[in-house]
Amino acid sequence: MRFIDSTDFERLLKKLSAEGELVVPVREEDTGKIHIQRVEAFPLPAGTAFDGFRSVESLKGFAQHLRSVVARYPSEDMDQMEAEESFPVFVIVGARGCDLKAMELVDSVQVEGDYTDPFYKIRRDRMLVIASDCTECGESCFCTLTGSNPWPEKGYDLTISKVGSGYLVEEGSERGAAILSENSELFSEPREGQEKARVENREKVLAQLKSNNKDYPASAEMTEKLRGVLNDELWNEESARCVECGACTNICPTCYCFLLFDQQDGEQFKRVMSWDSCQVTGYARMAGMGTPRPRLSDRVKHRLYHKYDYLVLSHNAVFCTGCGRCIDACSASIDMRDVFRKVKTKATR
Amino acid sequence: MENPYYPIDTVLEDVITETPTIRTFCLKPARPVKFKAGQFMQLTVPGVGEAPFTPSSDPNIEDRMEITILRTGKVTEALHELKPGARLGLRGPFGKGYPLEKLGGKDVLVVGGGVGLAPMRSLLYALFNDPSKYNRIDIKFGAREPAELSFRRQYKEWSSLASNISLKTTIDIPHPDWDGHVGLVTTLLDDLEVKIADSFALSCGPEIMLKFVTLKLLEVGYTPPQIYLSMNRKMSCGMGKCGRCNVGHYYLCVDGPDMCYEKIKNVPNVFG
Ligand SMILES: Cc1cc2nc3c(=O)[nH]c(=O)nc-3n(C[C@H](O)[C@H](O)[C@H](O)COP(=O)(O)OP(=O)(O)OC[C@H]3O[C@@H](n4cnc5c(N)ncnc54)[C@H](O)[C@@H]3O)c2cc1C
Ligand code: SF4
Ligand code: SF4
Ligand code: FES
Repeated sequence: MRFIDSTDFERLLKKLSAEGELVVPVREEDTGKIHIQRVEAFPLPAGTAFDGFRSVESLKGFAQHLRSVVARYPSEDMDQMEAEESFPVFVIVGARGCDLKAMELVDSVQVEGDYTDPFYKIRRDRMLVIASDCTECGESCFCTLTGSNPWPEKGYDLTISKVGSGYLVEEGSERGAAILSENSELFSEPREGQEKARVENREKVLAQLKSNNKDYPASAEMTEKLRGVLNDELWNEESARCVECGACTNICPTCYCFLLFDQQDGEQFKRVMSWDSCQVTGYARMAGMGTPRPRLSDRVKHRLYHKYDYLVLSHNAVFCTGCGRCIDACSASIDMRDVFRKVKTKATR
Repeated sequence: MENPYYPIDTVLEDVITETPTIRTFCLKPARPVKFKAGQFMQLTVPGVGEAPFTPSSDPNIEDRMEITILRTGKVTEALHELKPGARLGLRGPFGKGYPLEKLGGKDVLVVGGGVGLAPMRSLLYALFNDPSKYNRIDIKFGAREPAELSFRRQYKEWSSLASNISLKTTIDIPHPDWDGHVGLVTTLLDDLEVKIADSFALSCGPEIMLKFVTLKLLEVGYTPPQIYLSMNRKMSCGMGKCGRCNVGHYYLCVDGPDMCYEKIKNVPNVFG
C-alpha cells in the first residue's frame, strides 16, 4: 500500500490523461449529487470528488455506447471492425465497488461464452480504472444486501481510499503496478494511523448501509422467493404506478439489452446498435403484433426475474449490484427493495 | 477481429412462389455457409433491416441456401418484392438446431403447420440423407387451405424415398380442390403409426398451433422430454447478447430455437 497527497494525485492524473480521455466524478454544488465528467483541461474541475458515493449515471456507456455503428455494408472488406487503435482509451477515476461489480457481470455476458461482442471487448480492454472507497452511502444504496461491500475489491487497476489530505493507493493489476513504479516519486509509505482511518471509514459506511437496509431481505434469498410468487396479485399492484419510461433499465449498470437496426448512409447502409428496454411494449413484439409479455405487469416482473432468477441460472450471479440507481430514477418511486420485502412476506405466508 | 454484426454479401438467384403469401428465396452467399437443420440465419434486406429465418434447404449444401418466407411485415414485404440478382446479407448460423443425434434408431414424428413447414424441410433433408438410420419417419403437414401447403411439388418424391417414410397432409376446412384429410393438424395425431414410447416428436408452426400440438402429443402419450418445439421470439443479435429472445432463463437464439418441451414447460406464457 502507498500514500499519495491530493496535489500529487492530480499530477498523476494529468500524466495519465496523456494516455487517454480522463473521466472523474464531480459534485454538483447545489444538489450535492455526483456526476461523471470528462476532464478537458487541468486543473481538475471544481467539485471533483473522490469521496462520497456512486455517481448518478452508471459507467456502462463507456463499454456499450447508447448508440454506435457496428457495421457498414455492402463492402468489399469482409471485416468491418474499425482498427483497434481508433478506439479511445478511457482513464476512469472514482469507480465504486458497485460500478466494478457491474462491469464484471456485464463482461460475463458480452465477452465470455461462444460469442464475443468485439466492440465491447476492445472498449473494456482499453479502459484504465482507478476505483475509490465510498466515504458515505446514498439512501438508495443497498450493495451490502447483494453481498458486496462499499469499497472496491477487484476489477480495478488502482484503487484509492481518501484519508486526510490524500489517498491510500493499492494496485489491482499489472498495469496498476506499473503506474506505481513508474511514478514512484509521487508516492510515499502510508503514515501511522492512515490505514486505521481507512478501516474506520469502511466500518462506518458499512454500518450505515446495514442500518439503512435492515428492513429489506438479502438478494441471495430472493431467487427462491420470487419463484414462489410468479403469478401473484402483487405484480399488478406494483406495476400499476409504472409509467413505462424505461429509466430503470437505462440507468442500470447491469442492464445490457440492445437493438440492431439499419440506416442508409450515402451509397452504403450502416448497422446501428442502440440500448433498449424490456419495459416498453414493442421490445419483444413479433408477427401479428403478438408479444410474450403483453401486460405491463409482465414486463415489470420480467426485469426483476431476469436479474434475480434467470441470470442466476445461466450466469450463476444475481445481476444487481444494489447501486440503487433504478430507485432514484424511477418516475413512480418504485423501490425494488420494498417490492422484495413484499415478495418475501407473500412467499413465506 | 471478426465482426459478428457484419452481414455476408449474398445474391438472390431465384424466387419460387410456394403459396399466395409464401415464397422460397434461393440465395448464393459470397462464402459457403455451413448450417445444421433447425439453426437460423439473420437475413438482411439492405436498408430495410434484418429478420431471423431458418433455412428450408438441404444442410449438406453449403454454397447455396434456400429460405422460405411468409409475407407479414416490413422486411418480408420488401423481400417479396425482390427480383433475382438483388443483393442481400446473411449472418449466422445461430442456435443449436434439431437434436439429430438423439433421433438415430427412433421413430421420428415431424409436425408442421403453415410457414412452419419451412424449417421442417431442412430437417427432412437431413433425415433423408440416410433414412435407414431411423426406425420410422412420419410427417404430418397442415395448412389453412390447399394453396397454402408449401413444397407440394415434392411430397410424392419424399414419401417414396424409403419404405419407412410416410407423409400425411390436412387442411383446416373443406375446399373444392381437396379430397384429402380435413381438420387441424392435431387431428392427424389421433392414430399414429409410430411407437410413441420410442419416438421423438418435432414441431414447427404458429405459436397457437404449437400449443395445441403439444397438448395433443401429451394426451396421446408423449412425455415432455420427447417433444421438441421450434419456438418463435423476436431476435436481434442471435448471440445471446441483446436479451430479446428470452424464454425463462434460456435465450432462444443460443439455446434454441428448437427447445425440448421439458425445459420450458414451466415458463409462464410460454406460448405467448
Ligand atoms: C428462429 C426463427 C426462425 C424463423 N424462421 C422463419 C422462416 O423460416 N420463415 C418465415 O417466414 N418466418 C420465419 N420466422 C419469423 C420471421 O422472423 C418473422 O415473420 C419476421 O421477422 C417478420 O419480419 P418483418 O420485418 O417482415 O415484419 P415486421 O415489419 O418487423 O413486423 C411484422 C410483424 O412481425 C414481427 N416480427 C419481428 N420479428 C419477428 C420474429 N422473430 N418472429 C415473428 N415476428 C416478428 C413484428 O413485430 C410485427 O408484429 C422465424 C422466426 C424465428 C425467431
Ligand atoms: S437493478 Fe437497480 S439497484 Fe440493481 S444494479 Fe440495476 S440500477 Fe442498480
Ligand atoms: S451501492 Fe455501495 S458501493 Fe455503490 S455507491 Fe452505494 S455504498 Fe458505494
Ligand atoms: S437474439 Fe439477442 S439474445 Fe437472442
